[in-house]
Amino acid sequence: MLAAISIKNVSKSFSTEGQPILAFGPADLEVNEGDFVTLLGPSGCGKSTLLLMIAGLIPCSSGQIIMNQDEVLSPRHDIGMMFQDSTLVPWRSVLGNINLQLELRNLNPNDFQDKISELIESVSLKGYEHLRPHELSGGMQQRAALCQALIHEPKTLLLDEPLGKLDAMTRENIRKDLQNLWMNEKPTVLMVTHSIEEAVQMSSKVCVITPRPGLIDKIIEIKLPWPRDLEVKRSQEFADYMAEIQEVFQGYGVI
Amino acid sequence: MTAKRIKATIRWITDSWMVILFFVFFFLFWEWSVDWFSIPRYILPKPSTIVVNASADLPRLIDYTYITGLETILGYLTAIVIAIPLGLAITFSSILRRTIYPFFVSIEMTPKIAFAPLFISWFGFGLLPKVIIVFLVCFFPIVLNAILAFGSLSDELDRFAKTTGASTFKVFLKIRIPSALPQCFVGFKYAAINATVGATIAEFIGSDQGLGFYIQIVTGNMRPDLAFAGIFLLTIMGLSLFGIVTFVERALIPWHISQRR
Repeated sequence: MLAAISIKNVSKSFSTEGQPILAFGPADLEVNEGDFVTLLGPSGCGKSTLLLMIAGLIPCSSGQIIMNQDEVLSPRHDIGMMFQDSTLVPWRSVLGNINLQLELRNLNPNDFQDKISELIESVSLKGYEHLRPHELSGGMQQRAALCQALIHEPKTLLLDEPLGKLDAMTRENIRKDLQNLWMNEKPTVLMVTHSIEEAVQMSSKVCVITPRPGLIDKIIEIKLPWPRDLEVKRSQEFADYMAEIQEVFQGYGVI
Repeated sequence: MTAKRIKATIRWITDSWMVILFFVFFFLFWEWSVDWFSIPRYILPKPSTIVVNASADLPRLIDYTYITGLETILGYLTAIVIAIPLGLAITFSSILRRTIYPFFVSIEMTPKIAFAPLFISWFGFGLLPKVIIVFLVCFFPIVLNAILAFGSLSDELDRFAKTTGASTFKVFLKIRIPSALPQCFVGFKYAAINATVGATIAEFIGSDQGLGFYIQIVTGNMRPDLAFAGIFLLTIMGLSLFGIVTFVERALIPWHISQRR
């Protein structure tokens, strides 16, 4: 299997009053093509920083990141990104925001009509295409942001706690949609989360990250059947994975 | 949606009626109290006297309203035309941000009207010194808000734009300018409120026409009725300018939170 993303000895330090402070790493990680990998850790452990470094949005202090056989030195254009706060602009409708991704990439939205309706349908936003973000609930906004992040068919999806601000029921719903989309298209996904349940439910691999400075302490492969519906979530195996990870965090003293 | 809109309209009417009623009572009370408290006419005239006497002097009032209006509009528009590009330049040039920006912030603390006597001695009694004063009064709030507006794009949108690989110009056009508009309008509105103040005081200091000049002259002639006429016209002028700016704001950024109530 080809590594879609390989992270070699990557670290990030910030300098405060001339003193460099290590925020993350050094860490190594290989993400295979089509994997769904979550970066799971307590807040402040540098997991979002790692994601931004992979996207090429901030430079590494040391080490090397290779994505699709290419060293990451500047912002990557072959990715789709989602953040905790949506990247929707308030003056455009859902459709307009999806088109924005295409327009900024010099692609013609007319060529993507089918793909757009398919995506909108798959996240149950049909009938809401012409509403502006402020007319939507937080969950619907993130669904729209998901369409925006996927419309240009990126091979890699980088998600920075995209469901972090949503209520439990909405989160459950969007996880399902996201999982379906991933199972259909099989992009490589890297998702940052601090929810153990979310990590176990969504991922093929969970990277457990220690408190600051973050280190990738354990990589746990989740061998549960897909799709991870409520039935799977009620299974003993699911509970065992949850318990295993909870114990790791208990060991760190963060829970 | 429709029900909501109807409800909003009804609420607007009831709210407006209350304001109108308040104004009617205010002027009735004024009219009546001048007689009741036997206030001399040269101190406080009745509203009805003001209207009657002002209409007798209408040609001059219209003329002067035009003069003061022209000073206000010219100064205000010049301020926008110069402040916005300059605000942009300061936002994106670190040299300008370390030189002109602190300079502007300190000048913002200077009462601009203090320059008026100087300008009048330099440029005479005509239109130019007043336009410059209005310009100065309007320029700083607009430029400072523009710098704030163009400099504060959310991290998420900035990152999103970077991952698309779009050119700086395209990001500017499609994201940065619309994002900046609400904050720019804070400056436009603040400047609109102060524009007529600048024009009026500049006319007080040295002028041979305009409503500020008129108010000063008629007050000297013991004609407070005509002074009030000038004040009303200045109020209407200020309201109109602010109204136009608000209207443009609504048209341009109906999506913004301040427009959605």
